[in-house]
Amino acid sequence: MRTFNAYFKKEILEAIRTNKYLILFVGTIFWALLDPLLLKLLPILLKSSLPVDMSSLLLDFTRDSAFQNFMGDFFEIGTLFFAFTLMGLLANEITFKKLVLPYTSGAGSAGMVLAKYFHYGVTLSIFIILSFLTNYFYVDKLFAGGILSIGIVIKSALLYMLYYCVLLAILLFLSSLFKRSLIAGIMIIIFGYTMSVFNQLPGIRPYLPNYLLYKAADIRNVFNNSLIPTTIISLGLIIIFIFLTIRRMKKIDIA
Amino acid sequence: MIKVVDLKKNYGRFEALKSISFEVREGSVFGFIGRNGAGKTTTMNILTGLIGFDSGKIFIRGMDFKEHRQELINHIGYLPEIPAFYDYMNAYEYLDLIGNLSGYDKNKKGKRIDELLDIVKLKKNARRRIGGYSKGMKQRMGLAAAIMDRPEILFLDEPSSALDPEGRLEMLELIGGLKDERITIFLSTHILNDAERVCDTICILDEGRILLTESLSELYKKHIQLILDIEFEADPENEADSLKMLHWVKDVKIRGKRASVEVNNIDIAKKEIFKELSKSDNSIIGYQIRKMNLEDIFIGMVNKNADI
Repeated sequence: MRTFNAYFKKEILEAIRTNKYLILFVGTIFWALLDPLLLKLLPILLKSSLPVDMSSLLLDFTRDSAFQNFMGDFFEIGTLFFAFTLMGLLANEITFKKLVLPYTSGAGSAGMVLAKYFHYGVTLSIFIILSFLTNYFYVDKLFAGGILSIGIVIKSALLYMLYYCVLLAILLFLSSLFKRSLIAGIMIIIFGYTMSVFNQLPGIRPYLPNYLLYKAADIRNVFNNSLIPTTIISLGLIIIFIFLTIRRMKKIDIA
Repeated sequence: MIKVVDLKKNYGRFEALKSISFEVREGSVFGFIGRNGAGKTTTMNILTGLIGFDSGKIFIRGMDFKEHRQELINHIGYLPEIPAFYDYMNAYEYLDLIGNLSGYDKNKKGKRIDELLDIVKLKKNARRRIGGYSKGMKQRMGLAAAIMDRPEILFLDEPSSALDPEGRLEMLELIGGLKDERITIFLSTHILNDAERVCDTICILDEGRILLTESLSELYKKHIQLILDIEFEADPENEADSLKMLHWVKDVKIRGKRASVEVNNIDIAKKEIFKELSKSDNSIIGYQIRKMNLEDIFIGMVNKNADI
């Protein structure tokens, strides 16, 4: 527990001093603010250069479709910010031998890995919910129509939180595998994007974590029984990857 | 305090440690000396639990290190050759992290940090980011982190090799201070003067093999020999060859224009050497009789090992 507490505190300090909070803020909340504004301004900016039938399509956004559009953009851009900001969580510590003094002072692998996971799990969850609520606020002001409510927004945000917690567990494991953090970052991006392809396959998709994103966008019916296997598998993946990361950190040569 | 038996470590096909055994007495300063790549850091990383080993046994405080690793780590402090820190932290914050990891009592932690910063002379820079520290400051910072929890055994890996003469002297003074506190110190170095100044026991490691483990006083007793250092005007290759032919000369080593003559009988040597050298045209510009030092012993041992 003392390693967990010490490293949790250290991660907060590191995120402040190395601007990780700021970068994640830009990748999540700032985007939530910008997305509806761009959506509103885009038809006006492009009106003169687009054919009449196309511009009417751009003008047809409701609150629902604007929010769904934001979620799609959040996944695409947020994943990049997430991967490139957090890819070095363990890789940098191992490569630059920063764990030597802490390990010989009694730090344990389990406490350190869990502290990193919980810190960024909580951070991402807070940023996701704030981002979704910010987006809802602007979408509600700038667009009309649809059934979007704060309840739906919170439900969708919860599914995104769980999804990014799965990605974080996998990224942490990848970061412990590769000395070059960029490899871990690129692999998690490829994983995230390619998994989305399976959302086109109704038979398989409830068993993959990306179904969480699919259901988050299904704002008429966000929570239903089809999410039960997805939730169980997602939680299982988190546990498995954290366990694998701890095991890996116990076995690797720190020096 | 530390007992190592038949320790082996391989990196792929390369044998970094070839079944080494040695013992370290409680409260002593154990000098682990060897050339770069001899296996010193590998041994230290194994003894501090940072890397694994292939076979052999390690006992620390009488306990099997493999079985009681986590417990024993609490009694160990380690200063790596190039200590790496979280550069965005300042000295106070870093020692606070180390204190928290060591399970330091909250009330006593602040006092201990102040005390350590004072010992390693970093009090003035305690609120500056470590990333901006000089090499010497980082080394002293590393030492403060290593002794934060008052370890019984302290591993120091080349603590002074990257430092300027002033920094080296400061580091040796700090080690001397720790020796007075009866901390068992395992000091790895290739700077033999440093080892000679602070160590009680010397262990020479070369190509993954222990060549010798002996107390410094015993070592001098066994290898006590006088050496004649003679400085010539020109390179003394020919003179060295002719000296080697004499029965009272054990060995001659040449370094530039200086020849160090190891002799079997100093009385004969003192009488005969000038007679012998007067046959040569090469003028003598300096002459000195001295005792064999650790460097001479080390070079002798390592060369013998290379010949095997």
